[in-house]
Amino acid sequence: MDRNQITKWLEAPAKMANKYSLHAVYFCTGCGIIEVPPVITARWDAERFGVIPVATPRQANLFLITGYVSVKTLRAIIRTYEQMYEPKYTVGFGSCPINGGMYWDSYNTIKHLDKYIPIDGWIAGCMPRPEAIFIAVTHLWTLIDKDMANGYIRYRENYRFYRRNQEMALGKLEWPPLFAPGNESVTDERQAVGSQQ
Amino acid sequence: MSESLKQRIKSTFKDIWVVALDDNRMSITAQGASVPAILMFLKDAGFDHLALISAVDYIEDNEFELCYILTRYMQGQDSEGQDLHIILRTRISRENANFHTVIGIYPNAEPYERELHELFGIEFEGHPRLIPLFLERNYDIPPFRKDFDTRKYVSDVFDNIPFIAIEKE
Repeated sequence: MDRNQITKWLEAPAKMANKYSLHAVYFCTGCGIIEVPPVITARWDAERFGVIPVATPRQANLFLITGYVSVKTLRAIIRTYEQMYEPKYTVGFGSCPINGGMYWDSYNTIKHLDKYIPIDGWIAGCMPRPEAIFIAVTHLWTLIDKDMANGYIRYRENYRFYRRNQEMALGKLEWPPLFAPGNESVTDERQAVGSQQ
Repeated sequence: MSESLKQRIKSTFKDIWVVALDDNRMSITAQGASVPAILMFLKDAGFDHLALISAVDYIEDNEFELCYILTRYMQGQDSEGQDLHIILRTRISRENANFHTVIGIYPNAEPYERELHELFGIEFEGHPRLIPLFLERNYDIPPFRKDFDTRKYVSDVFDNIPFIAIEKE
């Protein structure tokens, strides 16, 4: 272990543990998933960075969205994201989740994924190299250190806007809201705790 | 190689246009009414695999072209037509896009016809369940038709969804 980080471990052990064990949900969408097998196997070996793919979203805290998102996939993405436990981090991989990419005028592809779920970081490129995933992971570590990877908090705070956008894209959703309307008290408590410290 | 098959098709059906595009590709253009008979003839001749049904939108002619691509699983069993791919084309009207299903001849035509019904709006008479296959949203015009304006649709639908405004404390 890096001795420089001992103080960080003592200050916030849970945060450091989260940071160095990013478990990625095995969710394949679009063409970018073809970059993930070399990343998690011997050539690039993502486990050096603590990133391993896990079987279910309930064990995961990193969500890589690896390519274009069709309307049908968006439904699965939202359901997967809402099943993950907090803290959870999302990374859009490739140019298609950012602004549609080469599918910018497609009739059935979501253009801006951050209208529907919060995104903590983007990897630009079509396709990004596997090294870009590691650059993103190290950037995500920095963001977690600075408490800037707060997508799940934004999701909770602005859930009614996200839900409205999801319903605009998908029509009536068949699952109940994740957070009851007017639950901003949850985040208020959290901020109060933060200010006391 | 496929000369005898070509002659047999030509002598059996009228109003038909058979071209050998290549050593192992043959194109048949036929009237819509004779398509099931031709498909049954070809199935009897050993072409037991319907690889694809697709459609082309010829909006200038106000017509759809349906393409049936046939091949055979067991190739090289006999001298006639080995490694041969047959494409059977027919034109149907674009306004009243109606055709008869070929599920009775090739059962695997079912998802292909559902797909064409969804993306081109072609009705297949006799199809047991023409229900949506891929699409989640409802479209006024089926989206693979040439007069479907994708950019207008994108600006009307997806660009109208607002970004999340994060209120700064």
